[in-house]
Amino acid sequence: MAAAAAATQVGAALKKNKKKKKGAEEGEQGVDDNELEDMDLSAARYKPEGLDELCKTTKFNKQELQVMYRGFKAECPTGVVNEETFKSIYSQFFPHGDSSQYAHYVFNSFDTDHNGSITFEEFISGLSILSRGTVVEKLNWAFMLYDINGDGSITKEEMLDIVTSIYDMMGKYSQPSVDELSPKDHVDKVFRKLDLNRDGVVTIDEFLESCRQDETISLSMQVFDTIL
Amino acid sequence: MAAAWLPFARAAAIGWVPIANTPMPDIPRRTSEGNMNSRVIINISGRMFETWRYSLEKYPDTLLGSNEKEFFYDEEKDEYFFDRDPEFFRHILTFYRTGHMHFPRSECISAFDEELSFFGILPEIIGDCCYEDYRDRKRDNSDRVADEKSSEVEDTVLPSTFRGKVFRAFENPQSSTMALVIYYVTGFFIAVSVIANVTETVHCDPFPGKTSAVPCGERYEKGFFILDTACVMIFTMEYLARLWAADDRCKFMRSVMSVIDVVAILPYYVGLFVTGDELTGMFVTLRVFRVFRIFKFSRHSQGLRILGYTLKSCASELGFLLFSLTMAIIIFATIMYYAEKSDTNTVFISIPAAFWYTIVTMTTLGYGDMVPTTILGKIVGGMCSLCGVLVIALPVPVIVSNFSRIYHQSQRTDKRKAQRTARLARIKLAKNASGTAFVARKKEAERLAQSGCSQEEIQNKISSYETQHHHLLACLENATNREFVETEYTYNGIPFARTLTPQHDTPHSLSNSPTDNTTQEFQGNTICCNRSGKRYMQANTEDGTELNEIHIRQPNRTRADLNTNNPRGNCTPMVTTTIVTLSTPTSPLDSDSIHSRHSAYSTHSAHSSNSEGDAYDNSCIMRVSAL
Repeated sequence: MAAAAAATQVGAALKKNKKKKKGAEEGEQGVDDNELEDMDLSAARYKPEGLDELCKTTKFNKQELQVMYRGFKAECPTGVVNEETFKSIYSQFFPHGDSSQYAHYVFNSFDTDHNGSITFEEFISGLSILSRGTVVEKLNWAFMLYDINGDGSITKEEMLDIVTSIYDMMGKYSQPSVDELSPKDHVDKVFRKLDLNRDGVVTIDEFLESCRQDETISLSMQVFDTIL
Repeated sequence: MAAAWLPFARAAAIGWVPIANTPMPDIPRRTSEGNMNSRVIINISGRMFETWRYSLEKYPDTLLGSNEKEFFYDEEKDEYFFDRDPEFFRHILTFYRTGHMHFPRSECISAFDEELSFFGILPEIIGDCCYEDYRDRKRDNSDRVADEKSSEVEDTVLPSTFRGKVFRAFENPQSSTMALVIYYVTGFFIAVSVIANVTETVHCDPFPGKTSAVPCGERYEKGFFILDTACVMIFTMEYLARLWAADDRCKFMRSVMSVIDVVAILPYYVGLFVTGDELTGMFVTLRVFRVFRIFKFSRHSQGLRILGYTLKSCASELGFLLFSLTMAIIIFATIMYYAEKSDTNTVFISIPAAFWYTIVTMTTLGYGDMVPTTILGKIVGGMCSLCGVLVIALPVPVIVSNFSRIYHQSQRTDKRKAQRTARLARIKLAKNASGTAFVARKKEAERLAQSGCSQEEIQNKISSYETQHHHLLACLENATNREFVETEYTYNGIPFARTLTPQHDTPHSLSNSPTDNTTQEFQGNTICCNRSGKRYMQANTEDGTELNEIHIRQPNRTRADLNTNNPRGNCTPMVTTTIVTLSTPTSPLDSDSIHSRHSAYSTHSAHSSNSEGDAYDNSCIMRVSAL
């Protein structure tokens, strides 16, 4: 009896191993192996376009592209960034707070084809718009960022999510400190400013219009270019 | 590496613009070219390494990231020369490149530590992949060192008191001739006692005049009694001597060996005091306990001790083995009983009675005192013996090796679980430290900008990358209407945010502390507070003798400071390393005397009594105390 029990146990263990190989049950490991294989094969084949073509399509010069590609590839040797890596890179710039949520939103806005990874072209084209584009282009991008579900209008909840994630980046050690209500108040204020027809949602036209009227915003947009 | 992502992070900050109430701060324009493309050559004992300058500057707290490397600069060849081991430097450079330090398994741990400390890198940043290994090796090494030291100490440090000498004699037989004598004498008497116990029961010639053989114990009762007494006396004396010589008596009394000693001699005394009829039943039990004297040999034999320790540590596995065997026995005994029930004369009168049969059969002993008679019973009996073979004989080696493996694994898991909190704390600490360093640098840059230094000088001190990073953080502060606060580390390493409001009432003794500054503090202003609000230089209202604790900003202000220290004219940043000595306190604590108070011992001291009277070293947190 006990021998039968022992025998069945051994048999179950063997079966488990087989299952692991197939990656069906137990195996987070098994599944990962399969996924990794697929990913490695496809990722290893990724290469960006040539330097000259990228120069033409974006507003960066050769040297800047060089520096940026080197950094990109150093961080992501496979040539594409996935969300986890993206979040970890982004968090290096905000050492105190928790920037993962904001990074998630930014990632979604850069990942234009929504396949979960950003290639160098997507990266560089987004960057070109953001740092060297016109104010309208930048505002368009900001709208896309705020519009989390992509339905063409920003609701108060979406804005609250974004603002909360921005406040999270400050972290605990800020003066005055961040509490529960600060994002909410902030959102109320901003929403009142942006929502021109008071219908509770902000469409792209309202957004562009109110931002254009606001001097501070137009001025502030210029500030974010970077010299490498 | 992350530097190349900075433009991206800054571009993503456009998302903060719509929610900001005030315009974003402008970024100081740089006149000189960025240095993203400049490389640095490092010559390590002839082997050349080359890397980007900015990747070294990512860690301003280390030798290569700070100005300290200028000491090693060779102008003719435009390289930095270090006379160190090139093999190790590979790993150091990997750290700068990737942010993780990997521990090379083939290397010696103390050499590795030396290299790390030379280059100013904390061992805490070793990546998770290598950290366990590093810790284990380090522990082995420190154990080895400790063992060496302790054995040295043992040999050299002789116990001074007589008591110490006696203790040492008991513990270590090799220490002196006296100890050796004690060792052998006790051993001899243990052996004698055990042999006496054994031969007591052998049958000797009968009493004269009687026919039946009696055990020698009864024949030569007196002789055995004398022998027993002698042994017990020796054991008692030994036990009492150990007890007296022990440092920690309670601990000694709780130890296993002393319990064995007590158990060994107790029966004799009990036998002495309890006489009469009630003795006989107990007597037998007490006699049995005398055999425990054999365990006293474990003081003489290391192997026995190791065996005991092994059993103790494998106790849970052995317990499980026993449990599963018990299950099998109960199952088979039950089946056997019910199978044999049909036979009226059966031996298996109850299930517990069948236990004996099951055990004997499963261990393939087969005494034959109990046998099944019915056919069903015989079938069950056959199955039982087959199962016994399989259950006991086959898996035993497998179980043994499995136990060893599982045991080590669970030990490792438990260790990892126990260390998990420590690991998380370590990660948090490292993150906090880097965060603090960032914010500190940022504040430093702000102060520098406001102190009116020329653009060029600022650019020399702070790289382009850093300027833009600071600008990014400043924009975040603007967008959220908050401000980053520098954190301090207290002595136990827990950071906390500085409170801007002083804890005592700004005392009247701070005579010319400008009152507007204090009111500004209470308003919780932004930039101004950073400059003047951090004055904790308060004294008690007594004669200024007792002051509060020292808070010294802990991230040791060595290398990062070298980057900012620049004793040139008015652009002296307010950074000092202070070892504060308390001069004899005189009464009014105006700002000047406060300066004289911290007679700072520092290489680059910015006694900024040159500039405004109250622009002091506010980057040092000052609560001066009586050292």
